[in-house]
Amino acid sequence: MEILKISKNDFYSFLDRKIAAKESKTIGVVKKGSHYVFAQLDAASDLCLDYDVTILPPKKYFQPPKEVLLKYVPKKPGSYVAVNECEPITIVGIHYYDLAAIYLMDKAFSEGERDENYLKKRENSLLIGMYPTKPQKNRFARSVTKDQGRHVADIMLTEIAGHLVVEILTPKGQEYLKDAKTVKNDYSMKEIEDARNNVKDDQKLPLAVEVVPQYLGNHYEHPVWEHFGEKCFSCGSCVLVCPTCYCFDAREEIELSLAEGKRVRVWDGCMLEDFAVVADGHNFRKNKSSRFRHRIFRKGKHLPEKYGYFGCVGCGRCANSCTADIAGPVKVFNYMEENK
Amino acid sequence: MCENCGCTETNQKDDVQKNSIYLPEVAKLTQKKKMTPFDSFFEFQLKDRPLGHLPGQFAEISVPGIGEAPISISSAPSEANTFEMVIRNVGSVTNAIHSMEPGECVGVRGPFGTSFPMNNLKGKNLLFVTGGIGLVPARSAILYAMEHRKDYKDFFILFGCKDPGQRLFTDEIENWKKRDDVIFHETVDRKENFPWDGNVGVITTLLPKVGKVDPKETYAIIVGPPVMYKFVIMGLRDLEFPDDHIIVSLERRMKCGVGKCGHCQMDNKYVCQDGPVFYYDDIKHLKEAI
Repeated sequence: MEILKISKNDFYSFLDRKIAAKESKTIGVVKKGSHYVFAQLDAASDLCLDYDVTILPPKKYFQPPKEVLLKYVPKKPGSYVAVNECEPITIVGIHYYDLAAIYLMDKAFSEGERDENYLKKRENSLLIGMYPTKPQKNRFARSVTKDQGRHVADIMLTEIAGHLVVEILTPKGQEYLKDAKTVKNDYSMKEIEDARNNVKDDQKLPLAVEVVPQYLGNHYEHPVWEHFGEKCFSCGSCVLVCPTCYCFDAREEIELSLAEGKRVRVWDGCMLEDFAVVADGHNFRKNKSSRFRHRIFRKGKHLPEKYGYFGCVGCGRCANSCTADIAGPVKVFNYMEENK
Repeated sequence: MCENCGCTETNQKDDVQKNSIYLPEVAKLTQKKKMTPFDSFFEFQLKDRPLGHLPGQFAEISVPGIGEAPISISSAPSEANTFEMVIRNVGSVTNAIHSMEPGECVGVRGPFGTSFPMNNLKGKNLLFVTGGIGLVPARSAILYAMEHRKDYKDFFILFGCKDPGQRLFTDEIENWKKRDDVIFHETVDRKENFPWDGNVGVITTLLPKVGKVDPKETYAIIVGPPVMYKFVIMGLRDLEFPDDHIIVSLERRMKCGVGKCGHCQMDNKYVCQDGPVFYYDDIKHLKEAI
């Protein structure tokens, strides 16, 4: 690992050259109304590195909301052709908790059967991460996320006084930055660490993350599930904005001409009412409370037990998006602690 | 393979085709037979390989333009390229399959999931407890055990369905009844207006007919609708069956078959990969299992 430094101005000029070179599509955080989103950059000046959180996490580039898996001629099963649409992309400014989510998604799509539709997009991506510079009212990332996102980042940026400290974590990151006007880093590790931790989280999980799987195991029956579940509109916003939710459905789309059809993968979520319905209509999670519990159990127990990492990265997007104001894990665990 | 399915030689070549876990291969419908007003028997044939399944596994069947659905495999493992399914017409994919005629093709992915542990059951008595279309996956193990009859001791099959009009594999059942090395009992929940002089009552009413078996020397295999499991397990526990001698096959929405899409999750298990066949002992602590 190499640590260098670049002025913000030089970094933006460098990005403009990268955008113009079109070796890969450059994606970054841009302002949209009063919110922020990941979007393709036409100019580096659109990039906003000082943001609280984006509406959607960068997962949309690896598991798009809608993605073609197969093409075919309707009624001709011999015509099925697998499709894997991807192009080289560079994403600039991913917060460390979103990187941690990508780390978990990588595990989910590579362990067991390898899902190349996801993995190929990941292989074709270069990730430039950073640490939050703005508070966000529902963020509790430091309670649940270690720095595992650094395992997937190619480059990490830390802003100090108009400069960016550039940590190069992979050969791919090294290659990407070869024409950048980086200079020798003269900040101490302590100064860098302090800058990374400059912005504190507004929220904190009331439990140590390591004990949550067992804690949930002991709280399968608890009034919290009904208390929050009955307020749920089953709209699915919390799972759609979640950086670690990767459940999907598959649908058929046929052209009006009937000449070509596609099987598309679309985002789905366990908070939607019919998620666990089987062919004869039986719903294995009929009650809102059982769906509410499943989501928290998946993040706090099932995924940690399967992959060794907490299934929630504390970004706070679910709490931000929830109409009923019930989705935030901090709120759920606080209620459980207050109602033992 | 056939003129109508659109097979092309180039389909299987590039890496995207080779590495996709979502690409179905072609199977031709070779036989079709109506079994009940809503269930039909289908035999499919893969182009150049046997399906290679084990008893109790399932496959994803695709109809291009309609969708894909997980279907239990009903035949015993075979060297032949054919395999059998009984499909209930309940949704758009199954409806499309029902409207097909022999010679037409479907897409197939699989086989997926765990199987009935037939090797572990060697030397023991077998007790199949099946309800409705639960007989369909159970049949793959029943036929397997019949083919390897010497490997097992006493062999009981209990079958229950809602009414006599919903009985499946009626010809085969007549043969099973005639066999002196298989003890078969069946019941219906209601006679309705059918001519029926057999048992009437829920599946658990057949358990006493099994008579005295040593539960420690017997494995019970339960396959049926969700509502059936608790009652049958209670009945088996009354007969002092140990929990690790009860094997169940569970239904969930197994959309992708490869442990990714999340639909079939049951507590921390993916039924499509960790199941559908489980020892009851391994899942009885799971809150969402039964």
